[in-house]
Amino acid sequence: MSDRKLPRLLQTPAVLLLLIWMLVPLGMTLYFSFIRYVLNNLRRPEWTSPSLSNWRGFGNYEFVLNSKDFVLAIQNSLFIVCSILFLTVILGILIAVLINKTFPGQGIVRVLLISPFFVMPAVNAVLWINMILDPVLGLQGIAVAGVNDMLDGLRQMPVLGSFFSLWPEFEPISFRATQTSAIAVIMMVTWQWTPFAVLIFMTSLQSEDQQQKEAAVLDGAGTWSQFRFLTLPHLGRPIAIVVMIQAIFHLSLYAEIEIVSRGNGNKNLPYLIGEFANNNIGAASATGIFAVILANIVAIFLLRMVGKTLME
Amino acid sequence: MPIVAQTSKFSTYGRPVLAWGVGLLFFFPIFWMVLTSFKTDADAVKPENLVFFTPTLENYFNMVENYDYWRFARNSIITAVSATIFTLFVSIPAAYAMAFNPSRATKDILMWMLSTKMLPAAAVLYPMIFLAKGIGLYDTHILIITVLSLINLPIAIWMLFTYFKEIPRDIIEAGKMDGVNTWGEIKEILIPLAWGGIASTALLVFIFCWNEAYWTVRLTTIDAATLSKLIEGNRAPEGLFFGRLSAVSTAAVGPIVVLGWFCQKQLVQGLTFGAVK
Repeated sequence: MSDRKLPRLLQTPAVLLLLIWMLVPLGMTLYFSFIRYVLNNLRRPEWTSPSLSNWRGFGNYEFVLNSKDFVLAIQNSLFIVCSILFLTVILGILIAVLINKTFPGQGIVRVLLISPFFVMPAVNAVLWINMILDPVLGLQGIAVAGVNDMLDGLRQMPVLGSFFSLWPEFEPISFRATQTSAIAVIMMVTWQWTPFAVLIFMTSLQSEDQQQKEAAVLDGAGTWSQFRFLTLPHLGRPIAIVVMIQAIFHLSLYAEIEIVSRGNGNKNLPYLIGEFANNNIGAASATGIFAVILANIVAIFLLRMVGKTLME
Repeated sequence: MPIVAQTSKFSTYGRPVLAWGVGLLFFFPIFWMVLTSFKTDADAVKPENLVFFTPTLENYFNMVENYDYWRFARNSIITAVSATIFTLFVSIPAAYAMAFNPSRATKDILMWMLSTKMLPAAAVLYPMIFLAKGIGLYDTHILIITVLSLINLPIAIWMLFTYFKEIPRDIIEAGKMDGVNTWGEIKEILIPLAWGGIASTALLVFIFCWNEAYWTVRLTTIDAATLSKLIEGNRAPEGLFFGRLSAVSTAAVGPIVVLGWFCQKQLVQGLTFGAVK
């Protein structure tokens, strides 16, 4: 055995495992996507088990493409992923810059800030939608009710009362509604993943070239131009990492969508698959193949952009 | 004294105040959850008892008695620990091979591995259930451990690869000269040298395993159900049971959050994939 063969063989288990993990279920999904396959159908019991005689060709794909939620799901997937990426990167940079210099209690603030990242996504969603955002029982509802009570009190005042009676009553926002449930998902995931961005940017800031900065100060550069021309370029690589890792995780968001709205006006692709999978496995599989295609488009795009930076 | 260290008013007063404000704001939901877990369900939704209330452990007792908390917790520990060990067991040799004996395909293999993470779980869920039931592994620890390992393998290999690349090849070469074989190289040279990186990889994989919900909820019923499943069953429609809900949630995320606090330094290194210097 040559000098290099054995060491190289060591990567085989990992490669094989991942290959099986990808090919077997994906192969089955592909197969299911071309046959009629439903879990329950009293009229056509032969459709309830997978078999080649139920061949449907591209029928499932057509069905999915024509379903009214498909385009919405893709748009929504991208809307949610992009919004979260945008917010976490901006907030992450701002907070990292803020806590980068020493101040009293820096360690504790860091611990507080990082905590959301460890919270289970399911707990995150349950906690936010019920206890914080709920329009009646959550903090939002209680806060809005409190403000309205206070306004009522002010209206009773002798002179100023007439001024406050011009103010409207505040309405709590229902975050389970069609228009707002995506916002709730974006809020909770941003809360959870901003700490991740902060951590990475902070580590990167600590390695910033201080001499270069001093030289810039001597040349009369202000805080803003230091940030713009020194810090921001320095953060390029970590931004790429944050974007890539988060895109991978958020394309498959599921729990948050389900818990917030049960997909009410707020489906993403994984959620749509889940919905089809309640009965129509064929359609679910076809949607799955679309999701794989979407993931690959994003992957190619991201890996081209980020892969190079990571491999250097 | 460095010239940059001019102190402005913002640095002395504004920065700490603002930083503490942001820190507390981010921590608030967790604090609120823990606080609510000590309220009765009735107190939890009364505005006048939001802050002032008589603390009670009722929710926690209730959870242990009626919801079999310890069984879910035990399953979480068993599956997350085993999956972490198995992941390391497979990924350390792989990362070693890629870092020290790269071939022309190594780069592509790494990229491909990461791209398997983009395969939407929902797309392959049904085949997995089908297979698992077919071979009789549905709702078993083995199945959950396997799935958790596989979904975390790409991340683990990536992290380890970037750590191993930092180790000077000369050290490994020197070991070869002394007649150490491949296993010896890994065991006696690589693992001690990259210990920090391996620890942070293990930590991150463990956290992801612990928090994983999609697969564990759908591939288990009772026997292998983890804490994610307990949450799933207790998410209290329309929020009438905030006290109970908070206690279950606190007990599910508590251990991992505390672990995260203790290991923050390690994590910071690990999360950056060694790519941020």
